[in-house]
Amino acid sequence: MPVDKSQIKEFEKAVVDGIELTADWNRMFDQRVVFDYDPNGAMDKVTDIPGGESMGWCYQCGQCIPVCPVDIAGGDYGPLKIFRKLQQGIELLPDPDLWKCTTCMNCLRVCPKAVNMIEIMPATREAAVLDAKVPKELQDVFESTFEYGNPLGESPRKRADWVTETGSTVSTMKDLARPVDMLWFVGSYPSYHARGKDASRALAKVLNLLGADFGILGTEEKDDCDSFRLAGETGLFEEFAEYNIKTFKKYKVKKILLTDPHALNAFRKEYPKLGGDFEVIHYSTFLAPLMDKLDFKKKLNYKVTFHDPCYLGRHNGEFDAPRNVLKAIPGIDLIEMGRCRENSYCCGGGGGGMWLDGFMSDHVNERLSEKRVREAVETGADVLAVCCPYEVSRFEDAVKSTGNEGKLIVRDIVELMEEALG
Amino acid sequence: MANQKILVIGGGPGGLEAAKGIAELGYQAILVEKRGRLGGTPDEASYAALTPDLRDADEALREMIEPVENNPGVEVMLNTIVVGAEGSIGDFRVKAIQLGKEIEIEAGAVIVSTGFKHFDPGRETQKYGYYEHDDVITLVDCEKMLKAHNFVRPSNGEKPKRVCFIQCVGSRDRQIGNEYCSKVCCGIASKEAIEIRQQVPDCKVYIFYIDMRMYGYWENEIYWPAQEKYKVNYIKGIATEIMKKGDKLLVRGEDTTLRRPMEVEMDMVILSVGMEPSGGTQEMAKFFGLNQNKYGFIETTGGSAEHGCDQCARGIRRRCMYWPGRPRRYRLGSRRSSDEIYRRLTQTECSACIK
Repeated sequence: MPVDKSQIKEFEKAVVDGIELTADWNRMFDQRVVFDYDPNGAMDKVTDIPGGESMGWCYQCGQCIPVCPVDIAGGDYGPLKIFRKLQQGIELLPDPDLWKCTTCMNCLRVCPKAVNMIEIMPATREAAVLDAKVPKELQDVFESTFEYGNPLGESPRKRADWVTETGSTVSTMKDLARPVDMLWFVGSYPSYHARGKDASRALAKVLNLLGADFGILGTEEKDDCDSFRLAGETGLFEEFAEYNIKTFKKYKVKKILLTDPHALNAFRKEYPKLGGDFEVIHYSTFLAPLMDKLDFKKKLNYKVTFHDPCYLGRHNGEFDAPRNVLKAIPGIDLIEMGRCRENSYCCGGGGGGMWLDGFMSDHVNERLSEKRVREAVETGADVLAVCCPYEVSRFEDAVKSTGNEGKLIVRDIVELMEEALG
Repeated sequence: MANQKILVIGGGPGGLEAAKGIAELGYQAILVEKRGRLGGTPDEASYAALTPDLRDADEALREMIEPVENNPGVEVMLNTIVVGAEGSIGDFRVKAIQLGKEIEIEAGAVIVSTGFKHFDPGRETQKYGYYEHDDVITLVDCEKMLKAHNFVRPSNGEKPKRVCFIQCVGSRDRQIGNEYCSKVCCGIASKEAIEIRQQVPDCKVYIFYIDMRMYGYWENEIYWPAQEKYKVNYIKGIATEIMKKGDKLLVRGEDTTLRRPMEVEMDMVILSVGMEPSGGTQEMAKFFGLNQNKYGFIETTGGSAEHGCDQCARGIRRRCMYWPGRPRRYRLGSRRSSDEIYRRLTQTECSACIK
């Protein structure tokens, strides 16, 4: 009788009741007959959690699967598949499925029943966090962020060191000792990561050229933690949010300029719930209408393709500003990837994915960032332009791992501006 | 001068609404019902609550019966069975038996409103063991129990812990001869599933389906709340056999999305039986020389009436078309009043659809 290959599992080593089995015994078959549907209430355990309700709403149309970046990368994933496993009684909390979702929101965009992974995932993950069932690499980042105020585990005292390192002219609110038009919330990666600092230097330069009245918090800034919230660490998120809100209020901040779309998302949608109502603006949105005020000296002869950050585009509806910035840079030829704007492909960094690369590599055929880099290369572009601090490092790694070094470079949109400003 | 009276055959929701409409327009209706009371199938089969808003069936029927019962424009004839007809448009002489006595009713036009009957799951095949296992019941049996607020296993009188519905029993089946979809069973099963979850909250309810056919607002008014609020489990793939296993029923089928066999134990199985033309519909067709389609439903111009009812208004409109020789339709006095009756009747509902 022919056997469905998908039901065969080969184990390098199989141990049953303490006895190591060898040779053909390592070949296991999935149980074929369904004897019961969810006998222990696996579905209820998710839908009973506030925020998890909509997990039970799926009517299995399957529209979510073709747009799930994890499934596209070979992860055998998506809301429908989670629903189906729960219906069979496979618990979500201890399942690796709980951590695969990047909260990119492309499934919710197409879901007719509004099954909302953006609420289900943080709610269910929070239960796992409270249960101490978190992948170790993510748990380590939770802890170092709690300790140092940033997920890179760098010293909080060095948070503003990038300013002097890069020779930028930026003042802290403490030094300014006066209210400013705009607080620039720099963020952790732009403060500490080598490539993030490049973008910070460029943005500082552009802001000064525009004569903007701004300041930064420097060592008084703590991570926005929105991705930790989506990874289930609500406590960490709220603690830092309360701290940041207090600090903003101390300096009488009204308007906040953000480098990181994840921070934008948190400040816009979550901070008001915690008493922090500020005007927030992503730097691409801020810069787009001011491009004609800048004197670009150099023409960049680049073919550029742009990657929409999930938390700027789908989550916060800004698709045009970064494109308008790019189009205003002399010489840039903007070409779009097949998956762009509303249907942009996730880099894999959201919802905790930034710190789960090791875990994810066991569950996908290729990293999401690698998939995206291949899509960028397919367009024939020289430059993959980004405007989210997670992406520069992710995509540069992926350019190397996919063997595309020399074919494609990764640049923040403001780095391209800096280059054209000469 | 043609006879101005209109005979309505069948005292269910369709016939009631037709009789009421005729009277409101100032004409005389004769409403003939074979049972000793009005209400038709919803009354006879003890429907509990109506789809989609779970309205009490008795209350809804009362609202339909009252305006007919004490209406000078409607002559109600209970315990009356039509047994033959003569004549033609404008001059029908309909033979009936009223409490054993033969009578003749004269009318200018006839509205046939004899409705449907529930499919008998033991009629063609014993696939699901309806007459074999006490705990295998139909939507109709379930309705009775829900109405009595006594939803229990017929085998032992205990409250069930696990119940499933099997959809499309007697519908969409070439071998049985009922190739059509009965349209309402998906909604009725979901409605009964909600009531079971209300009456026996710790009972798990499953619905095994081929595809859920919730036309129009039934989608969001029944199906979605059943799944989202009442946590009814919808499993794609209908069962093929039911076997006894101890005091439970073993339901065997194929989970078509998992592509794996399922063998799940249930305390009760509810067969979602579809609709067939009623005996009355079959007979009236013969008496009045109405063409029937291959399933026994009465043919009309513009296609067959679907399960003697179709979707409410459209069904009644088609029933109007059953007026003998509809293309040469008898005109009640003037074209205008005929159109008025026509329009009025198109606003009524039939028993299948109010269920």
